Amino acid sequence: MNTIQGTAAGSTRPANSVRVVIVDDHAIFRSGLKADLDSSIQVVGEAATVEQAIAVIAQQRPDVVLLDVHLPGGLGGGGREVIAGSAPLLSTTRFLALSVSDAAEDVVAVIRAGARGYVTKTISGAEITDAVFRVAGGDAVFSPRLAGFVLDAFGTAPADIADDELDRLSARELEVMRLIARGYSYKEVAKELFISIKTVETHVSAVLRKLQLSSRHELTKWAAERRLL
Amino acid sequence: MTTLPVRPPLARSSDRVIAGVCSGLAAHLGWPVRNVRVGMVLAAFAGGAGLVFYAWLWIMVPTADEAARRNARRPASPIAPAVSQPAQGQTLQGQPMREAPSDGGTSAGAAGPADGAAESPWFRVRGMRYGKEILLGCGLLLVAGIMIAQMLGVDVSLGTLIPAAAVLGGASIAWMQLDETRRAGLVDKTKADQAGGWGRLAAGLALVVAGVLVMVSGSGSWEQTWLALLASVAVLGGVVLVLLPWALKFWRDLETERAGRIRETERAEIAAHLHDSVLQTLALIQRRAGNEHDVVRLARAQERELRGWLFQDPGRESGQLSDRIKAVAAEVEDLLGNPVEVVTVGDAAMTEAHEALVQASREAMLNASRHGGGTVSVYLEASEGQAEIFIKDRGPGFQLGDVPADRLGIRESIIGRMKRHGGSAAILSTGDGTEVRLGLPAAAEHVEGKS
Repeated sequence: MNTIQGTAAGSTRPANSVRVVIVDDHAIFRSGLKADLDSSIQVVGEAATVEQAIAVIAQQRPDVVLLDVHLPGGLGGGGREVIAGSAPLLSTTRFLALSVSDAAEDVVAVIRAGARGYVTKTISGAEITDAVFRVAGGDAVFSPRLAGFVLDAFGTAPADIADDELDRLSARELEVMRLIARGYSYKEVAKELFISIKTVETHVSAVLRKLQLSSRHELTKWAAERRLL
Repeated sequence: MTTLPVRPPLARSSDRVIAGVCSGLAAHLGWPVRNVRVGMVLAAFAGGAGLVFYAWLWIMVPTADEAARRNARRPASPIAPAVSQPAQGQTLQGQPMREAPSDGGTSAGAAGPADGAAESPWFRVRGMRYGKEILLGCGLLLVAGIMIAQMLGVDVSLGTLIPAAAVLGGASIAWMQLDETRRAGLVDKTKADQAGGWGRLAAGLALVVAGVLVMVSGSGSWEQTWLALLASVAVLGGVVLVLLPWALKFWRDLETERAGRIRETERAEIAAHLHDSVLQTLALIQRRAGNEHDVVRLARAQERELRGWLFQDPGRESGQLSDRIKAVAAEVEDLLGNPVEVVTVGDAAMTEAHEALVQASREAMLNASRHGGGTVSVYLEASEGQAEIFIKDRGPGFQLGDVPADRLGIRESIIGRMKRHGGSAAILSTGDGTEVRLGLPAAAEHVEGKS
């Protein structure tokens, strides 16, 4: 596919194949996604509800879970509840959120629950394969839209020294987020800022950590207020 | 109907000495406030008429806030036309209230309370908001009529008058209540002031019962009245006891039916929307299944439409810069078929210079979609200081110098336009794609304004 966003070159692909569980309540989407994924990705299980997902994940202990944000079952918490239910496995199993939803509170909720990234369902097979490898390698995956969310939530002014470190993005992190929001791949971000891809990944992971840990009340308020985008 | 000049609605203004009546009245009549105030004071010496008038307005006229709330419910309807309607035009057949002495005001008095009950369709359609006012006016007319009649020597016995007045008053209190709960039920189902409503209903009922009793027993003697009252209350209690289960059941059925109807309306609305949009698009997609490009374009357009419908926040102000950029992106997407992904951070109100920014980005998006041939990424960042837009594609790229001099797309529509409006435009093209960067400082609009 010629629309790959040049990310493949920068990813750290493990030699062995990656074991994946797909959690989505639409069978058509699951089978489509399975067909789209690279052959080096082994789909070891599927689930359509919160309960099924928690059971399958506990049983299979996959490397990566592709997790729909909206799921039936459980207490109505959807993807967030699956992550919470699989908390003991979080060190070995990583979650990548998939969503058709534009609603910020949905996305931010799964990220804060512990997902390592968020991509939209319209993403191509090659891109999602790359994202899976990236998440399996311990990196964070940000779509332009998630980067936009982050910039909106943390504000676009760089951190003051007086601020709590978790509540603001550093100037460098802001630059990285801005470029990702503009549609740059990690490789292009690295080139633009004259830093290594590894450094870009470090910055993105740091932003993810802040997004997950920050108690900045604006963040939660913002997430609740924004229905759109 | 009447062609009275449209006046600002009568409302008690916040510019007040006592209750804002005079300034509200002045605004309504278009008179100077001073004159109205002086007039009111003078009238107060004329047998206290000014005081009574003031008190009446104080009670009956809503404050400006309340008036605003009312107007939000039903737009622009100054009080004058509704009041000047021929309120007594429709006489009501079979009214039991005809017992009142027949003076000039009688028919009006009888018509008033019945209107309060909103039984006549005429009233419900037009005058419902002013039921209270009309009612009170009619009551006052009636009283005035009776007083005049007495002055002229017509003997009106207090024994009939007081009970009749009590019945009328009680009925109108209860009916006004009915009217209001019905209105509340129509507007929304919150009945926060239901307790007060019950109180009014009880007061109205008590008045009517007392009035009827006195009228029927015909004597002013307390013992008799008291006995009759006890008996009638006992009978009423019995009747209530028997009818209560039915009433409750009826009420519950009504509630269920109402809830069902609301659900049904919602469902119908959703179904109508899906039919108009999604089903039509699916049909189109099936007919164009051979053409991948068309299918993708249709699906994108439909997705956008549905998303807008589902996640639209009605409280949000529309017409902002981000909305315009998204609308333009959607237009480009429809025109050329390549997806245009828009990410926005922050927002700004539209100005003339912003419109130029939007047009320049539209041109850039068109170029990116046409020559890049893939997904176009658009990023808008608007802060207090400036608005920036980045349009990125992944096409083969180009050199600005290679573009023929007669092609104005980039030079004029993008770079020239931004310069003219005090902004900046830069184009960065490599073999991996092209990015157009547009910037517009917030102060730029002033520059434009003077030139």
